[in-house]
Amino acid sequence: MKITIRTITFAASIALCTTGLAVAASGAAVPIKAKMAQALLENAYAKSVRSGEPQKPWPGADIAPVGKISLPRLGVSEIILDSGSNEAMRAGPTLVPGSAEIGAPGTSVIAAHRDTHFAFLKEVQVGDIFEVAGRDGMKMPYRVTSMKVVHADRFTVETGMTQNELALSTCYPFGSVRGGKQRYVVRAVLDASHMAEAAEQVTE
Amino acid sequence: MTLAYTISSSILLGPNAMGSTGSTPKARIARRLLPLAAIMLALPAGAVLAAPAFAMQAADISDDTGPQSGTLMLMHKDGSSAVPAVQLGTDMDVTVTGNIARVRVTQAFRNVSADWMEATYLYPLPEDAAVDSLKMTVGNRVIIGKIKKREEAREIYEEAMAEGKKAGLVEQLRPNMFTNSVANIGPGETVLIVIEYQMPLRQLDGTFSLRLPLVVAPRYVPPSSITGPAALDDAKAIVSAPLVDPKRGSKTNPVSISVHLDPGFVPANLDSAYHKVNIDGKGSKRTVKLAQGQVPADKDFELSWRSATADPALSLYKQQFDGSYYVMASLTPPAIDAGSGKNSFIPPREMVFVIDNSGSMSGTSMDEAKKSLIHALSTLRPQDHFNIIRFDDTLTQLFDASVPASADRIVEAKAYTETLEANGGTEMLPALIAALKDDGVTDRAATLRQVIFLTDGSISNEAEMLTAIGADKGNSRVFMVGIGSAPNGYLMSRMATMGRGIYTNIGDAAEVTAKMTKLLDMLSRPAMQDLKVSIAGNSFDLTPSTLPDLYAGEPLVLLGRSDRLEGQVTVSGHIGKVNWTRTVDLSSASESPAVAKLWARRRIDDIEADSLLGKIEYEAGEAQIAELGLRYSLVTSQTSLVAVEEARSRPEGQPLREEDLPINLPDGWDFDALLGGETAAAAIANEAHLAQLRTDKKFQLPQTATNYALRLLLGLFAFGLGLIGLTLSRRKKEV
Repeated sequence: MKITIRTITFAASIALCTTGLAVAASGAAVPIKAKMAQALLENAYAKSVRSGEPQKPWPGADIAPVGKISLPRLGVSEIILDSGSNEAMRAGPTLVPGSAEIGAPGTSVIAAHRDTHFAFLKEVQVGDIFEVAGRDGMKMPYRVTSMKVVHADRFTVETGMTQNELALSTCYPFGSVRGGKQRYVVRAVLDASHMAEAAEQVTE
Repeated sequence: MTLAYTISSSILLGPNAMGSTGSTPKARIARRLLPLAAIMLALPAGAVLAAPAFAMQAADISDDTGPQSGTLMLMHKDGSSAVPAVQLGTDMDVTVTGNIARVRVTQAFRNVSADWMEATYLYPLPEDAAVDSLKMTVGNRVIIGKIKKREEAREIYEEAMAEGKKAGLVEQLRPNMFTNSVANIGPGETVLIVIEYQMPLRQLDGTFSLRLPLVVAPRYVPPSSITGPAALDDAKAIVSAPLVDPKRGSKTNPVSISVHLDPGFVPANLDSAYHKVNIDGKGSKRTVKLAQGQVPADKDFELSWRSATADPALSLYKQQFDGSYYVMASLTPPAIDAGSGKNSFIPPREMVFVIDNSGSMSGTSMDEAKKSLIHALSTLRPQDHFNIIRFDDTLTQLFDASVPASADRIVEAKAYTETLEANGGTEMLPALIAALKDDGVTDRAATLRQVIFLTDGSISNEAEMLTAIGADKGNSRVFMVGIGSAPNGYLMSRMATMGRGIYTNIGDAAEVTAKMTKLLDMLSRPAMQDLKVSIAGNSFDLTPSTLPDLYAGEPLVLLGRSDRLEGQVTVSGHIGKVNWTRTVDLSSASESPAVAKLWARRRIDDIEADSLLGKIEYEAGEAQIAELGLRYSLVTSQTSLVAVEEARSRPEGQPLREEDLPINLPDGWDFDALLGGETAAAAIANEAHLAQLRTDKKFQLPQTATNYALRLLLGLFAFGLGLIGLTLSRRKKEV
C-alpha cells in the first residue's frame, strides 16, 4: 500500500485526537485528584494527631500532613502538607519550608494553587476567622487582617516575632491564565479574644 | 503527566495574546501563530521547541528592579549614570499673602521608555508645610486625591497598581521629606501630580523669608538607630533614591519657580540668596521668577524681604472652619534693653561649639563651617568659657572640659579648626550628649550655657537627637547653624525649639560674617522668658502648648482654636527685670483660608514632641495625629493622600517596571569624597552591621496555578482538530 497524503492526514488526526484527549483528561483530573487527595489526607492527618507521628497519606508519598485550615463561613476545610513540593501542591495547601510551624510563634507561610485549594481566597474578607490546627490538632482562631498583592520575589516576613501569624499565598490575578510574578497574600493573626473557647475544643 | 505539565507552562502566552487588545506587534504575531502553535503543542517535539520562545516573552521584566539590599547608608554607593525611564520636571507657584504662603507644586512624570512604569520621587518640603491637596492629571482627566490613613492609602494604591489603573500616592517620611509615587504611566505618557501646601513665613528681626528646599541631601543612617524592622524600613525609604553621577555631565530634575508676593506692605530689600531672579510689580505687590527659567533641583531657594517702612510688630488672621474659629497671631516684642544704654551688660557665657566634619560636609560646606566657627571664636571675651567638639563617626573634644577664653586658647582653637577635614560617617548623637554635659566649670547661676551646632544635619535619626535634648538639656540652650546648600531644616528648627534656642542657615561662604554676627548678637542678649498668654472672654486651644523664650527680633507665633472668636489676647513676659505686655483685640483679625490647617499642623508638632519626650504613649500620639490628619485633610506621618483612576489603562499581561527617580547631589557637595574613601568605608561597615540586625526574612512564594481549565480546553481543541482531520481523510477515501 502506498503512503498517501490521505494516510498521513489520517494518522496525524488520530494522533491529535488521542493526545488531545490525554491532555484534556490530565486537565480534568487536576481538580478531581485535588479533592481525592484531600479525602485521603483527612485520614492521614487524624492518624497523625492521634499517634503524634507524621503519617504518609498513601504508599510512596514524600509528603505528610502538618495541619488543617478551615473557614466555616465559606464551608472550606483543607489539610495542610509539608515540603512545598509540586507533589504536595497538587494534593493540598503546603507550608513553605523555612517558615514557622503552624501554631508556633512567627509567620507560617502557606501556599496553594489559585484554581484549586486556594480559589476561595478571593472570597476572604478582613475580619474572617480561620480555624487553624497544627500537628497536635488543637484548633486556634486566626483573624484576617489584610489582603495584599505582592511581588513573588519581594515577600518578606518578620522573624523574631512572638505573635502567631499566617500568610496565605496564591497566584494573582485569580482569573488569569498565565503565570505571573504577582501573589495574592492573605494575612491573619492569632486572635486572643477567641482563645479561651478554642482551647476547650480539640479535634478528633 | 510530566509532558502535560511542560505543555501547560509553555503555552502561557498564546491565549493571553488572544485576550489582549492586540495592539502590539508581538500580540498580532502571536495571534497569527496560534493555530499553528496549537498543533505543535499537541506533539511532544513541538512543545519542547516552542517552550523557550514563549518563555522569553513571558519573562517578567520587573524582576531586576527594587532596591538593592546592603547599600543602606547611601543606598547606592555608585552614582546613577543611566538615563531614567521616567523624567521629572517641577513647577512651584507660590502666593504670599501677609505672612502666610500657599504653594502649588506640579510634578510632571514623563515616561520616555517603552515600558509601563511605576515611579517614586523623593523630595523635600519646608518642615512646617501643611500639605492638603493632591490632584493627578492624565490627558484631560483630573483625579482628586483623598486623605486616608497611611496603611489604607498604600493598600488602595497598590491594589490600583496591580489592577493596571493609574494611581498617585503622597507619603510623608519626615515633616520635611515626602515621596510621590505614580503607578501605570504608559510608554510615552506624561502624568501630572499637583500637590498644594500652606506654611507660615519665617520672620526674624523684621526680615521675612520664604525658603523652599529643592533636593533631599543624602542621609547617614547610624547603625545603632536600627532597632527593629520598622526602623529598617524607614531607613531604606529615606535613602532609596539613587544619586545622579556628576560624571554624567548634566544635572537632572529641572524646576521653575514663580512667587506672587503681597505682603500687605511695600517690600524692600527683596533678595533671592542663592538663585538669580527677575522681579516685576509695583505698590505692595511683586512677582518673582527665576532668571534662568529653570534650574536643576540641587539647592534651597530663599527669598527674603522686609517692610520699606516700620517693621510690622503684629499680624492677625482668622478663619471659621467646621464649626470652630481659628486664629493666628504673630507678635514681635519691641527691642528692650535690659541693661543701661548701648553697653548693656552681657553675662559671662560658656559656649560649646559642635562642628560636623563628616563626609557629607566635604566640599564648600566644610569651609563655611570652619569660617563660621573661627568667626564665633573671635567674639569670645576673657570672662567666657568655651570648648570645641568635632565629630564624624568618631568624636574629639578639644579640651577635657570648657576652658577660659584666653588669647592663647583662642589661637589654639582657631589652629585646630583649620586642620579639620570632612570624612566618615555622621554619628551626631554622641556629640550632642557630650555637649550637653555640664562639667560645672562655671558658676551656673551667673553663666549662660550655650551649645552651637554647625552641621548640614544629614542624618536619619532626628528623633533620637530631639529625645536627647528633651531628656537632658540641663541649663544648656541649643543653637543650630544649618550649613550648606540643602541643610535638614526639620532638624535645625526642632532642635532649636527643644533646646530653647534659635537657628540660622549659611548656604554660601559669603554669608558667614553677616549671618554669624547676627546669630551671635541675638544669643549674646538675654531672651524674653516666662511668656504667658491670657484670653479674656472664652478659652482657646493654643499651640504651641509650651511657649518658647523669645530672642531679640523673634516673634511669638500663636495659633488657637475656639468656639467663639471674640475678646482680647494678652501676652506678657520679661527680659531680665523689664516686663512686657501686649494686648490684641481679636476682632481686628483679617480672613485667611489657611489658619485652621496651620493650627492642625502645629498641633501635630506638639503631639510629636510630647511623644518623643514620653509625655504621652507613642501609640496614643499616632492615633491623635491620624485623627487630625483625616479631619483637616493633611498629609502626616499617619495619613497620606491617594488618587486612583477608575478605568484600567495598563493592559492585562503587560508587566510594570518600578523606578526610584535619581536625585542631584546638593550643590557644593563633593561626590568623590562622599562616595569614596572613609565615608564609603563607614557605609560598608554599617551594612555588615545592619545585615546582622536584619529581622525580616525573604520567601520565594511558589508558582500556584495548575491552569487545569486551560489544559482541558486545549486538549479538547486538539481533539476537535483531529476529528476534523479524520472526517476529511474519510471523505477523500470515498471519492
